[in-house]
Amino acid sequence: MNLLAHSLLLAQVSPDDVAREIGRLQRNYQFLSYGLTVAWIVVVIYVLMMVSRERALKREIANLKAMLEERHR
Amino acid sequence: MRNYILYALGAGAMFILARDINLIAGFPQEASQGAIFKIIFFHVPMAITAMLCSFVALCASIAFLATKNFKYDAIAVAVTEVGLAFLAGNLITGSIWARIIWGVWWAWDVRLTSALVCWLLYAGYLMLRRAIEEPTQRATFAAAFSIFAFIDVPIVYLSIRLFRTQHPGPVFFSSNGSFPPDWSAAIFGPLGTMMAMMMLATIFTCVRLTQENFQRELDSLRRMAHAM
Repeated sequence: MNLLAHSLLLAQVSPDDVAREIGRLQRNYQFLSYGLTVAWIVVVIYVLMMVSRERALKREIANLKAMLEERHR
Repeated sequence: MRNYILYALGAGAMFILARDINLIAGFPQEASQGAIFKIIFFHVPMAITAMLCSFVALCASIAFLATKNFKYDAIAVAVTEVGLAFLAGNLITGSIWARIIWGVWWAWDVRLTSALVCWLLYAGYLMLRRAIEEPTQRATFAAAFSIFAFIDVPIVYLSIRLFRTQHPGPVFFSSNGSFPPDWSAAIFGPLGTMMAMMMLATIFTCVRLTQENFQRELDSLRRMAHAM
């Protein structure tokens, strides 16, 4: 009975339907990969921003300390 | 010692995320939405992490106004910035999901709009901090603004419960939603994506707190330089 139902269903499916379904699945996977990539890119960009900010802060502190020591002398 | 703990947390988070991605890839596709539904494993934990960051920022801001201790101000700014990054990830992944399911990148419904307003409010908080030079005034105004900004967080949370929205209704923490237990465990389990996001947020917050200490040192050095 189940086999008969499947056969009847398959008989109604045209090659265009199969191609459309494959296209839909591929688009789904493509956008899923976009989503995951973007999630990672956001995290990486934030980490890079933090690293560059820390470098800038340390550089500015070193410069100010050097300037203050020079003024003391 | 503190750095070693942070490195261990980072390695743990990376391990959990790698394990979860492998696990999620093996799950079957959702019946009506297909593969794109799996974006939920990152979209929801990012939103919850951002909301928890907002709550911590609220508590720290109230603590600062009560005690005038700058330690709380540093915590507030650190968690706000981290929460903003996670909320940005949540909004972008949601937008990509919407493009497939709704056919549009964005819909001006209550959930999406209130989340965007939340992001703008916390971005405004960071801009406000940059605009005020004097540290005590900056911390006081920022704490008051942070308390005001938090008003939007319950609106974001309740929007899908109180209004009819394009965004689907609650799946988690609700009797209406149904989610397979192994899928729920991939998000909320002890080795789920939620745990990994929380660990990442903790690491970022600790790094930002260190930077706030550098910023305070820089402020005091500047004051000394001006005084000389």
